[in-house]
Amino acid sequence: MDTLASLADGFAVALTWQNLFLALIGCFLGTIIGALPGLGPSNGVAILIPLAFTLGLPATPALILLTSVYYGAMYGGRISSILLNIPGDEPALMTTLDGYPMARAGKAGEALAISGIASFVGAFFATWGLVFLAPQLVKVALLFGPAEYFALFVLAFATLGGVASRNQAKAAFAAALGLGIATIGVDGQTGVPRFAFGEVHLYDGIDFLVAIVGLFALSEVFIFLEHRAGGSGADGAMKVGRVIPRWKMVRETVPAMGRSTILGFIAGVLPGAGASLGSFISYTFEKRISDRNGTFGKGDPRGIAAPEAGNNAAAGGALVPMLALGVPGSGTTAVLLAMLLALNITPGPLLFQQNPDVVWGLIAALFIGNLMLLAMNLPMVSLFVRVLLIPTRYLMPAVAMISFVGIYGISGSTFDLMVMIAFGVLGWVLRKLDVPLVPIILGVLLGDQMEKNLRRAMTIHDGDWTMLFNSWLAIGLWAFAIVGFVLPLIVGRYFRPKIADEPIAEGADPD
Amino acid sequence: MKKLVGLAAVLTLASSLSAFAFEPAKTECIAPAAPGGGWDFTCRQVGKTLQDLKLVPGSMQVTNVAGGGGGVAYAEVVSKRDADNELIVAASSATATRLAQGAFPGNTMDQVRWIGSVGADYGIIAVAKDSPVNTLPELMDMIKKDPSAVSVAGGSAVGGWDHLKVLIAANKAGVEDVRQVKYVAFDGGGEAVTQLLAGSVQAFTGDASEAKGFVDSGDIKVIAVLAPERLEGDFASFPTAKEQGIDVIGANWRGFYAPGSMSDDAYAYWVDAIGKVYASDEWKGIMAANGLAPLDLQGDEFQAFVKESIDSITNLSKQIGIVK
Amino acid sequence: MSDRIFGVFGLLLAAFYLWQATQIELSFISDPFGPKAFPYMIGIVLAVASAIVVLKPDTEPEWPSFPRLFEIGMATAVMIAYAMFLKEYGFVACTAVAAAYLSWRLGAAPLSAVIAGIAIAIGIYVIFHLVLGLSLARGPWGF
Repeated sequence: MDTLASLADGFAVALTWQNLFLALIGCFLGTIIGALPGLGPSNGVAILIPLAFTLGLPATPALILLTSVYYGAMYGGRISSILLNIPGDEPALMTTLDGYPMARAGKAGEALAISGIASFVGAFFATWGLVFLAPQLVKVALLFGPAEYFALFVLAFATLGGVASRNQAKAAFAAALGLGIATIGVDGQTGVPRFAFGEVHLYDGIDFLVAIVGLFALSEVFIFLEHRAGGSGADGAMKVGRVIPRWKMVRETVPAMGRSTILGFIAGVLPGAGASLGSFISYTFEKRISDRNGTFGKGDPRGIAAPEAGNNAAAGGALVPMLALGVPGSGTTAVLLAMLLALNITPGPLLFQQNPDVVWGLIAALFIGNLMLLAMNLPMVSLFVRVLLIPTRYLMPAVAMISFVGIYGISGSTFDLMVMIAFGVLGWVLRKLDVPLVPIILGVLLGDQMEKNLRRAMTIHDGDWTMLFNSWLAIGLWAFAIVGFVLPLIVGRYFRPKIADEPIAEGADPD
Repeated sequence: MKKLVGLAAVLTLASSLSAFAFEPAKTECIAPAAPGGGWDFTCRQVGKTLQDLKLVPGSMQVTNVAGGGGGVAYAEVVSKRDADNELIVAASSATATRLAQGAFPGNTMDQVRWIGSVGADYGIIAVAKDSPVNTLPELMDMIKKDPSAVSVAGGSAVGGWDHLKVLIAANKAGVEDVRQVKYVAFDGGGEAVTQLLAGSVQAFTGDASEAKGFVDSGDIKVIAVLAPERLEGDFASFPTAKEQGIDVIGANWRGFYAPGSMSDDAYAYWVDAIGKVYASDEWKGIMAANGLAPLDLQGDEFQAFVKESIDSITNLSKQIGIVK
Repeated sequence: MSDRIFGVFGLLLAAFYLWQATQIELSFISDPFGPKAFPYMIGIVLAVASAIVVLKPDTEPEWPSFPRLFEIGMATAVMIAYAMFLKEYGFVACTAVAAAYLSWRLGAAPLSAVIAGIAIAIGIYVIFHLVLGLSLARGPWGF
């Protein structure tokens, strides 16, 4: 067992008091960064790089600090998703769907605990995947050319129908809106600006963080302003519920965690798919497989276990192409990659041979950070849920201001703030009209990659459409999208007894 | 040799100008992109070196002004911070390329003062290890014979630096209509190399540092280095394009500019400070780690260099029809 | 009715988007697919979805009364003013004012709203600027 021996060496490198302390700091800061709207894992890691430099840390401790921040942020994103209906970062988007309804039903504590466990399961097994499967997985990444990536994105959008089941037309509208927003900016293939109206601020397109924070956080503030019942002091008093979940609930979510870990990990391994796609696909698949009574979207614990296991597994998976190919699969790994280069480590096919101490030290650090996060997050659930005890008249202004800072601190742009406010108003109107917001963000997040891969495929094959189906993998993905998700939508309309149109707790009506 | 002369020039400059009329107080470096990118790293690493060499008091603040491929920062410096003596801004070939192609509407290179470079990353053209192609002329012949048979992948957008390099090479190699060269834009060099390994494309254009891991492992074959002479270290065994009769140099430099109305004293101070950073052992280490090759230009020399590269990119872009 | 108006709005948006898509300038180098095709596809989906919403509207949502609407409008105005004055008066001052306003409008007594505003501004400044080292807008007083 060479691998295990290497791993043991890795633990020998990682297990020093200094490293453990750094991991603790990293996990703690990461959790906070993840929970704050507007700051996600990629910004968090980038922000803390100067700290690593200032401390003059050598390669391994610096990486331990930064990957702890990375994993910490992946854990932290769920906290604001569940408690406030505001995704702390983009992979935590799907967690709002069932997390917030659970919190509103007085089960915030259980939701946080379940999602914490799911995060641990996802990250833990993904790290084992990294240990044993990295070389084989690299081959999987090489199976995906532009045509296969395009098919994958089509699959992602095909599953959308399952997320917002109430009004498909509105879900389609939202997705198209998001995709349309994604086309704003300079077109990467030909260099011409599109929908930018000569405004230089729009040349880079609209940052998805600006859209997420505006649509979710600011519109939430507007909703509260709208519903403020004059003078009643009881606002914001939401029941916190039990902090330790019932064993039965945990057991019910185990299969969901298992499936989602595998899906999320694979999505993470594919550069250009990433954690958001991982959590999204995990959620929609889980809903497809196990949502028998239509409880998803109304506070089903499996609906938070799936995306959390998925996105944390994807975070581990994304390290595979970064370490073994030097290709970042996500914004965060791009930052980590730059950090590695700055430390005189060249990721790539030879990294495992040339710098085994760094790689195995890093992997050991992932295990340590993960255990630390679980140990830190479960007891802290009772602390987190206290956020709900803060009256909204103080909580919501703080949320609004943090959103502004999160965006301004990263881009330094007043223009971005204006766009964010516009998204806030838009989000409020769309919520009133019962248009789902998740497909918009999905469109913004994936639209760019979807178009790019389609056009790359077309360029390579000189515009021959049939080449989109030129491999078994592509055909399989297309078939899966159509048979698994599109057909049931059409056929189901005729055969399934009409489910009563009861309102789903999608929007956030606090009264 | 040029490098040594430059170094000597800087050293004499440094010793002759030991006292400056300008004393910095609270220095700032603008990275015209979000944290984590190349410009951000240039700011942070140079900022840290400045601090370690005690060239600036305290630490240098790094501000991220993202947007418009650097255009937002450029416009802001020109319109709002024009007389700021404490400010420098990270720049690279991408800045010059965009200025040349008019991608910063209403801005030109004369509106700021160019301080100096801190290194360059030379371009390479590579193919997969099992490719039948072994030299740059062979690849160009394939393109001449059937342009649709060769897809070239790169990490920049169409019209960007990675694309231009391959077009310049094609132009020099006698490809008649360089617009027929099939270029596929990816998000960064790493992704482009991966697609080369996956067999989706036939060739790769990028920077030496982007390809280093794959060159070491033997997964890709470098058929030309776009440098004036052979690089040192791992890339020494690869021929330059010039050796193969195709005279192309593609350097992705990194450096800084400062506000246009910065005082001459302050400008002299910054030119000197960046020169000292460049000459330091610490910076040598960073350059080696990041695969940066020497490019030592400060002050007027750098100003002239930027002007020249903008002019040549403008000409080329007009010729191939990227700008009108 | 709201849904029908929304649908018509969506149709107009789709029309505008498609019109803008036709205006995209083509550069001399282009891929076979071109920069316009994908926007066309999106515009058509947008239009079809909007048309369906017009034809099959949902039940009417509950719109707030005019004073509540005015409240939201005012909050938006304060946020816009915040974004505009941020660079001029610095982060802490602007944030304190904006947070105090929102807190007041969400039901806090004026005095506690002011205290909350200042506390939020300082709290965020400490976390984001002093701990995380983000550069926030520096005002005339250095913060």
